[in-house]
Amino acid sequence: MEYSGLKNFSSLFKDEVFRTSVKNSLIWTVGSLALQLIIPLGLALLLNKEFKGGALIKTVILIPWITPVVGVSMMTRWILEPQLGLANKILLTSGFVQQPINFLGSLSRALPTLLVISSWQFIPFGTLLLLAALQTIPVHVYDAIKVDGANSWQTFRYLILPMIGSMLGFVFFLAFVWNFNTFSLIWITTKGGPVNSTMTLPVLIYRRAFKAFNMGEAAAIATMIGLFLVIVGFVFFKYLWRRADY
Amino acid sequence: MKMKMIRESFGIKMGSLILCLAVSVLLFVNLFPFYWVFISSLQPNLEILTGRTRLIPSNITLTNYANLLFETAGVTAFRHYILNSLKVSIAVALLSTLIASVGAYGLSRYQFYGKEFIGRMLLFVYVFPTILIIMPAYDLMAKLRLVDTHLALILIHTTLAAPFCTWLLRSFFDSIPGELEEAAAIDGCSKFKSFLHILVPLAAPGMLTAGIYAMVTSWGEYIFVLVMINSGTKKTVPLALAAYMSHVDIQWGRLLAGSALNVIPILVIFLPLAKIFLKGFLEGALK
Repeated sequence: MEYSGLKNFSSLFKDEVFRTSVKNSLIWTVGSLALQLIIPLGLALLLNKEFKGGALIKTVILIPWITPVVGVSMMTRWILEPQLGLANKILLTSGFVQQPINFLGSLSRALPTLLVISSWQFIPFGTLLLLAALQTIPVHVYDAIKVDGANSWQTFRYLILPMIGSMLGFVFFLAFVWNFNTFSLIWITTKGGPVNSTMTLPVLIYRRAFKAFNMGEAAAIATMIGLFLVIVGFVFFKYLWRRADY
Repeated sequence: MKMKMIRESFGIKMGSLILCLAVSVLLFVNLFPFYWVFISSLQPNLEILTGRTRLIPSNITLTNYANLLFETAGVTAFRHYILNSLKVSIAVALLSTLIASVGAYGLSRYQFYGKEFIGRMLLFVYVFPTILIIMPAYDLMAKLRLVDTHLALILIHTTLAAPFCTWLLRSFFDSIPGELEEAAAIDGCSKFKSFLHILVPLAAPGMLTAGIYAMVTSWGEYIFVLVMINSGTKKTVPLALAAYMSHVDIQWGRLLAGSALNVIPILVIFLPLAKIFLKGFLEGALK
C-alpha cells in the first residue's frame, strides 16, 4: 500500500457527491431527531395513565423496533409502490391526487419518505423509554405541585422535565446514533438514489468502498465521521449522561 | 359547584376520549403495515401483481409460501436460507451469552482500575457506525481466510451483540446480593462453582434476554452479510430477500411470503420476553 498523505482528504472537499451526502446526513439526522424526540415525548405524556390493556399495548408497540430492517424496507416498498401500493390506492380513490405518487423514485420526496419510515421504527421504543422514566415520578408529587397552584405547563417544566431529563438525554443519544448510522434501510430501498437525493454518509462509504473499490477515499470519509462521533460521544458521556438515581 | 363537577367530569371524559383516540391511532400506525403485508402474502400472486390485493380477502391461499419454500428459485430454495439464518443466529446467541456472562461477572464482582470506564465503553462502542467497522472487519476476515463463511458472520454478529448483552447482564448480576457467594465461599465453594451454581441460575432471565437479543440482532443483520457472503448457497434470509427485491420484475407474492417468514419468528420469540428485555435495558441505562 502506498502512503498518500492527505490526498484522500483534500480531494473529498472538492467532491460534489461528498458535499451532497454531508448535507443529506445533516437533514436526515436533525429531521429525525426532531420527530423522534417530540413525538415520543408527547405520546409518553399521553400514555402515562393507568388504563385497561396498558401493559399489552406497551409490548405490542415494540413490534416495529424489533422488526428486521429488511422486513421494514420490504413493507415500505410494498405499501408505497406507485402502481400496486396501498398508499397510492387510498390517495387516488379519495381524490387527493390525480396521478400516483412515486414516493421513493422522486428527487424531492425520497428522503423525507425514508425519514418518516425510519422514525416510525424508532418512535415506539423512544416512547417506552420515556414512559418508564415518567412512571418513576410518584403520584403524590403531582398532587403536591397541584396544591401549590402549578398549571400544566409549570408541572411539565418544573416537575416532569427535570425528572425525566437524563432519560431524554439517553433517548437523544440513542436516536442520534440510530439515525446517523442508518444504512440498510436506504440501501435496500433506494441505494442512495434517485440522483444521490438519499445519499447519506454511510451509503457513500459503502459505495466508495465496495462498489467503486476506492478504499482510500472510503477510509478518509470513515475517519472523519469516526472523529466527529467520538467527539459527540465524549461530550455526551462527559456532560449530558448522568446515571440518574431514581 | 354543580357546574364545576359537571365540567370536571366532562374534562375526565374528554381526557379518556383523547387517550382512547391516541392509543387507537398508535396501534393502527404500528400494526396495520404488518397486517397488510401478511394478508397480502396470503393472496394469489396474480391478484397481487394486477393490483387487486384486498384488505379482507375472499379466498386465502398458501401458494406463495409453498412456491417460496419448495421451488428451487435461482441457486437454492428459500428453506436453505432459513436454515443458514437459524444456524448463524443460534450460534451467535450461545456465544454472546457465554462471553457476556463472564464479562458481566467480572464487572459486577471485582474491583479494578478503570472498571467504570470499561462499563461505559460497552455502550460507547455503539456510537461507531457499523459502516466504519466494515472495512477493517472485511480485512481481518480476509486475512483469516474466513470471507464467505458462516463462521465470519458468527464472529462479527457476536462482536455486535456481546457488548450490549454484557451491559444487560451486569445489571442483573448487580441486583443479586454478594452475601450468597460469601456464604458459599465459607462453605468451601470455589469462585467458579459459585458463579455456575448461584449466579447463573439466579440471573437466568437476564441470560435468556441477552441470548434472545443476540439472536434477534443476528437474524435481522444485513450489512455484514452483504459484504461477507458471496456464494448463493450461504446467504441468510435478509440478504436473499434484498436480492429478490432488486430484481427487475419483483415477484411480490414470494417476496411478501419471505418477509413474513423473516419477521414472524422474531415476534414469536421476542414478544414474550419484551418485558424482561425492557426492564434489563432500563436498569442498565438508568442505574
